[in-house]
Amino acid sequence: MAATFASRCSRVGRCVIGGLSNCSPSLFTSSHEMICNNLFSQQQRTFIQMRTVLKVVDNSGAKKVMCIQALKGRKGARLGDTIIASVKEAHPNGKVKKGKVVYGVVVRAAMQRGRCDGSEVKFDDNAVVLVDKQGQPIGTRVFGPVPHELRQKKHVKILTLAGHIA
Amino acid sequence: MRLEKCWFCSSTIYPGHGIQFVRNDAKIFRFCRSKCHKNFKMKRNPRKVKWTKAYRRVHGKDMTQDSTFEFERKRNRPERYDRNLAENVLKAIPKINKIRSAREERHHKNRMKGKKEKLQKEAMKELEQGISLVKAPSVLQEDPSLTLPKIKVKVSQKQSEENHAMEE
Repeated sequence: MAATFASRCSRVGRCVIGGLSNCSPSLFTSSHEMICNNLFSQQQRTFIQMRTVLKVVDNSGAKKVMCIQALKGRKGARLGDTIIASVKEAHPNGKVKKGKVVYGVVVRAAMQRGRCDGSEVKFDDNAVVLVDKQGQPIGTRVFGPVPHELRQKKHVKILTLAGHIA
Repeated sequence: MRLEKCWFCSSTIYPGHGIQFVRNDAKIFRFCRSKCHKNFKMKRNPRKVKWTKAYRRVHGKDMTQDSTFEFERKRNRPERYDRNLAENVLKAIPKINKIRSAREERHHKNRMKGKKEKLQKEAMKELEQGISLVKAPSVLQEDPSLTLPKIKVKVSQKQSEENHAMEE
């Protein structure tokens, strides 16, 4: 496993800096591995689009939902936007059952979003809070941090339920 | 308006600059520029990266404990506006800056105290050890073992004859 990984690294490295690695493979492999690791860890974060699976961070009963439609934006939804999703995993006796189509507000997104002052904010994961069609949350609790931009989107109820506001 | 400090390099972040990353446990990491953000993503420790303030503090490069740093502190309660107070603060800021820069200079001077002697000592040592590599030409002439032995050649008519032969 490790050997195959190293060989892949050296192949990548060769195309980066020509035949340099052929002269002294032992000296360069370590640096190649480092570069490769960075490439793997820094995944390009993008919009929440069709088939994006999001974590549900409320007590509505759903665990994971898959986005089937972003209600705003051509490319997809971002932090604070509303999506339509289908429930993929759910707790056995919750309000929301598996396979149901629900509305949700994206409260955490790994893709950065500009703030009103020009700086940017990003989160660890993609998370959603399930709401009904009127925008009222289905659950009664919200876990983890949520951005204060939800106030502009008229989701004050989610903000009051949340423990941390970033 | 609040001026934050960069998590990685401890520089001031002015409004509208940089990016902030919110971890799932609601800890906020603010970065002044993409350089610091990238270093964070590479999981580098700011105490081990030489250009950060944290490194300089840990390794005694910068002044760490000083009363001038006490003024610049995070306060969670906004100060109630007072005209006289604001005036005094504005007057005090350049004074404090001056004192701090003077103290920093003194700290730097103290830190660099034995530098010149140390450098000279090192140079002397190197010279002593490596003198064999750079002997002066006069020394080479004095020492017969280092130069080629001189061959005495008789200058006579023969040479001219040889020249003639070459010409032919």
